[in-house]
Amino acid sequence: MRRIESLIDTNAADYKANYAAMSERLKEFHARQHAARFERPQRDIDRLARQNKLGVRERLKLLLDPGTPFLEFSTLAACREYDGTVPGAAVVTGIGIVQGREVAIHANDASVKGGAWYPHTVKKVVRLLDVALENRLPVIHICDSAGGFLPLQHGVFPDRYLGGRVFRNQVKLSQANIPQIAVVGGHCTAGGAYVPTLSDYNIIIEGTGAIFLGGPPLVKAATGEEVGVQELGGAVMHTSVSGTGDYRAATEKHAFSLAREIVGQWKRTPKTIIETAAYEEPYYDPKELYGIIPKDRKTQFDMREVLARIVDGSRFHEYQPDYGTTMVCGFAHIWGYKVGILANNGVLFNDSSLKAAHFMQLCNQNRTPLVFFQNITGYMVGREYEERGIAKDGAKMLMAQGGSVVPKFTVIANASYGAGNYGMCGRAWDARTLFMWPQAEIGVMGADQAANTMADVKIRQLQREGKELTEEEIAAIREPVLEKYKRDVEAYTSTSELWDDGILDPADTRNALGMSISASLNAPIDDPHYGIFRL
Amino acid sequence: MQRIFQMDGEETDCWLGHDGSRFVLNTPTGAVACQLDPTGLPGGYTLRAKGVVRELRLAVGPEATFVHMDGRTYEVGRVDPAERLAGSDGGASDDRLVAPMPGVVVSVAVKPGDAVEEGQPLLVIESMKLETTLTAPRDGVVAEMPFAEGDSFGLKDILAQLAPEEE
Repeated sequence: MRRIESLIDTNAADYKANYAAMSERLKEFHARQHAARFERPQRDIDRLARQNKLGVRERLKLLLDPGTPFLEFSTLAACREYDGTVPGAAVVTGIGIVQGREVAIHANDASVKGGAWYPHTVKKVVRLLDVALENRLPVIHICDSAGGFLPLQHGVFPDRYLGGRVFRNQVKLSQANIPQIAVVGGHCTAGGAYVPTLSDYNIIIEGTGAIFLGGPPLVKAATGEEVGVQELGGAVMHTSVSGTGDYRAATEKHAFSLAREIVGQWKRTPKTIIETAAYEEPYYDPKELYGIIPKDRKTQFDMREVLARIVDGSRFHEYQPDYGTTMVCGFAHIWGYKVGILANNGVLFNDSSLKAAHFMQLCNQNRTPLVFFQNITGYMVGREYEERGIAKDGAKMLMAQGGSVVPKFTVIANASYGAGNYGMCGRAWDARTLFMWPQAEIGVMGADQAANTMADVKIRQLQREGKELTEEEIAAIREPVLEKYKRDVEAYTSTSELWDDGILDPADTRNALGMSISASLNAPIDDPHYGIFRL
Repeated sequence: MQRIFQMDGEETDCWLGHDGSRFVLNTPTGAVACQLDPTGLPGGYTLRAKGVVRELRLAVGPEATFVHMDGRTYEVGRVDPAERLAGSDGGASDDRLVAPMPGVVVSVAVKPGDAVEEGQPLLVIESMKLETTLTAPRDGVVAEMPFAEGDSFGLKDILAQLAPEEE
């Protein structure tokens, strides 16, 4: 496979300006991520110490194989909710390696609100369990939660993808023969009691771990019975009397060594075999991405320059290089895994949509996973294009994309607007993982267009009422709308709401994709089949 | 198709095959039976071909293999046939820049009569929320810039024209 010839001049003024702007953004991003992971009020740290509990990061260290990567999801979930007081949505999720096996991890962070379930906590856990189901990854739950956050119970409990879905997904995992372990390092109260009880294996840490449907205060209120935590649902009672618990651990360290021993004795299912090549680092430095991504989102850039800093050896076999040129399609390897890449080099026209649909069919036929790099402002509009059937060509692309049986992975590299987001495997389209770059934006249309549209409606309404508006009055209507919309389309809003699996430093994209692809091969790939293409 | 190797600047087509009992190097001038056995020294081999026996040392790099034989070092590089055979890229370049889609001119960087170099920005257009810089397809002199800043244009309108190349 040939190497992409980069035309980037790293001494050019544009490159340097872009590099500086991206570095600035990344400084902020890494600081926010560090804060969400590690910075806690002293009283919360003291409380954990008093309870003789380890923090969630120390627990992960005990669980995971040393020196192996941990692909953490949605570190900044809920960063724009609850006044920023629930970092990471009080839970850590991700894919890690235990005893050489890829596992999905769901760990409550008791240093945040006692590990209570907020609406965004539930969303993050359900997403992790969906990842486990789609990729057939065993799950390790580390339970330490105060239970549902009662003032917001309507956002935690009743709906289809809320609390109940956690347990429903646990049942589906078990039914699909995917093992789960729960390490109980705190209280599992009410609904939370079902996390360890629906797991194939559970371990309760003596003194700190407990499982009960109703804790001591609730029991007292309901029946008048007075009972302590340990008698009601402690490790000794559950592992020797009720059979609710499987293993009693003397300490946290003991608990995680037991968990590792259990994982080690599971039957290994062979992974799906796809085409591979010898691993090769990119020829061009991934850090150069900082200078390639324009500081102004509206400025066009060549996605081949991006791919050259992501894929093995910067090698890329481009498919139909001279047709539908706003859609770059081709084959490459990431971490040695062969992938089919679709990347936007402009608006989607009729020809680019057809090319994408055809290329995805090729990849499905070959069992080649698909990777999407989004920088898409939409499908082309206007009379000329409607007459050529842009809507039906877009439909073909959606049919091929949505009907793909191979694993799909999405990177929102810059713009992700409108139906372009759908065609390029946005959140609703089951990408196995979906990541965003910090400067990227997502919305039904660009900020200016949306603000103008919304402001115009209001202005026309006022004009109908006979009001004459001055320039200043019009600006006064438009400005706040524009400001709010601009915030709503930012990557931080997306990641706060879990519309993605996390924001990535662009230089980390290659490794995030490599891990995602490797994990996806735990699930089989079906034979290709599609719905009806509107021809 | 045979592989293309570059040996001391000269290209040779060949293909290493196996006839069931031994390796055969197929070259443009015929097939040569050959055998390569490790000697136990680092990178050391004994080569047997055409009744000749030679001791040699091999060093394999990412771009080329170095063969040390008879006191000389030969550099053997592999040439990518798809790259080698692609011919000149794109053929003759066009004198005109044609609008890839309808849009608005954001800025114009040159005026008729200006000398430009290949790749030099001529104008910036905006369409579908995207700003695209259009650059000179070759070295030349600008003949026409039909649109000014703020003007709208249609699909396939000519956005810039270079003066014809003098032969």
